[in-house]
Amino acid sequence: MATYSGSLYRRRQLSSAIALTLCGIATVLGLVFLVWILWTTLIHGLSALSPTLLTEMTPPPGEDGGGLANAFMGSLLMVVLAVVIGTPIGVLAGTYLSEFARGKKLGEVIRFVNDILLSAPSIIIGLFVYELVVRPTARFSGFAGGIALAFIFLPVVVRTTDEMLRLVPDVMREAALSLGIPRWKVTVNVLYRAASTGILTGILLAIARISGETAPLLFTALNNQYWSLDMSQPMANIPVVIFQFAMSPYEQWQNLAWAGAFVMTAVVLILSVVSRSVLNRKGGK
Amino acid sequence: MLQSQDTFDAASKSEKPMAKDKIALEKVNFYYGDAHAIKDVSLSFPERQVSALIGPSGCGKSTLLRILNRIYMLYPKMRATGSIKLDGKNILDPSFSMNELRARVGMVFQKPVPFPMSIYDNIAYGIRHHERLNKADMDVRVEQALRQAALWDEVKDKLKGSGLGLSGGQQQRLCIARGVALRPEVLLLDEPTSALDPISTAKVEELVAQLKGEFTIVIVTHNMQQASRISDNTAFMYLGELIEYGPTTQIFQSPKIKRTEDYITGRYG
Repeated sequence: MATYSGSLYRRRQLSSAIALTLCGIATVLGLVFLVWILWTTLIHGLSALSPTLLTEMTPPPGEDGGGLANAFMGSLLMVVLAVVIGTPIGVLAGTYLSEFARGKKLGEVIRFVNDILLSAPSIIIGLFVYELVVRPTARFSGFAGGIALAFIFLPVVVRTTDEMLRLVPDVMREAALSLGIPRWKVTVNVLYRAASTGILTGILLAIARISGETAPLLFTALNNQYWSLDMSQPMANIPVVIFQFAMSPYEQWQNLAWAGAFVMTAVVLILSVVSRSVLNRKGGK
Repeated sequence: MLQSQDTFDAASKSEKPMAKDKIALEKVNFYYGDAHAIKDVSLSFPERQVSALIGPSGCGKSTLLRILNRIYMLYPKMRATGSIKLDGKNILDPSFSMNELRARVGMVFQKPVPFPMSIYDNIAYGIRHHERLNKADMDVRVEQALRQAALWDEVKDKLKGSGLGLSGGQQQRLCIARGVALRPEVLLLDEPTSALDPISTAKVEELVAQLKGEFTIVIVTHNMQQASRISDNTAFMYLGELIEYGPTTQIFQSPKIKRTEDYITGRYG
């Protein structure tokens, strides 16, 4: 029989209360800044929204009106290029890691290197693509921007594909293989289907991640104040325009920067919410 | 129960002299890395009979089953030695095609694993890989398989629905239907009822009794009553070795080896 020790019990209650309070403060602190940032973006962004935002080009300094049409289009093109390059390579590499490199040293090495790439500062990737593409071609270009974004996009997709496939229980592989179906077909028809929502979520989150990247684009796509769909030319894009306009002394430019920031935040937020809800809807079993 | 055993008895006795060996194992050894999981097992499973593998957890009975369609090949560092002849041809021979082997030797697992597709496609997927059938023929095959697995009446109105939406017992019968749809010669069942309630278990057992007419069945089970109810032959394994193998009635009523008797009567130690 244990004897009831009042002091021991009180001490535990006290330490529990202190721990809970500290956790609460930390949470509130984090949330306050998040809400503050979102609120500021919302207030300034909403008041700067105008119908010409999506129809007109970035204006010269000091001029009224204008929009961000060229920057939105540039961002869209470069993100699409990154997704087109990064998705097949990323999904295939993730598949290799999860399905064909099990227990192999090479797989471990690739996974480790991929994790390094995942956390590499994006400005280094910008410099790398500058050396790789911009210098040899002697010009900043939309292609270089898309390639730089692809380097940031790729490791995220490799990682999520690898993880989502590894979440599919082995007995599913065994069941499909035991029907006499070859490994590659099992992977494509059964495993991809079982992991599809997870892989898709990874792609959406990676898109959210690259659509706000500024540093790599400064070195690669630079900027362009005119409407341009030619990806071999310098290309306007939202993050760099925000960077340039927000630092400027002109009020109209600052307002456009706020509007761009607001739209970008909203897009990323919507992408995250959509991908999470997709994951919850089908992955909840 | 005694009565049903007697009828099984009569049936198996009349069949036994005719039954030829479908699968014959000779000096089979299996290793997980350095662990020696199966030791020098030799036995044979007669055609169109149910053979049960029993024994305490970790005795190697599931491992033995998983060698028979070489599904262990999915994992690194596992290897089998010896010879396993399926109709006289050694399946451990590297030249034996895995896909042919697995089309001929089907498997149903402990946990039901429907594929993430419709009930219809769960059945049709395997068939499509091995045969080219038109829509009407495929419909017939799918219905046949579902009827064989005693599932047709419950799912005929929702064939397009997801296989994941079925109950556990239905999912397991779906997996059995998926297995028999390929018309394999051998069906391996790895504790097929351990995750099911008694009613679903009874259905699966009935099913095994029916399927016996067509397939050679090898079943791993923890449930001694189940082994005695549905099998013609029983193998008792312990620590990777085959201790005793013979007709089920003999194993359960007059085991020759003390350890078998101890296990079967529950005085296991």
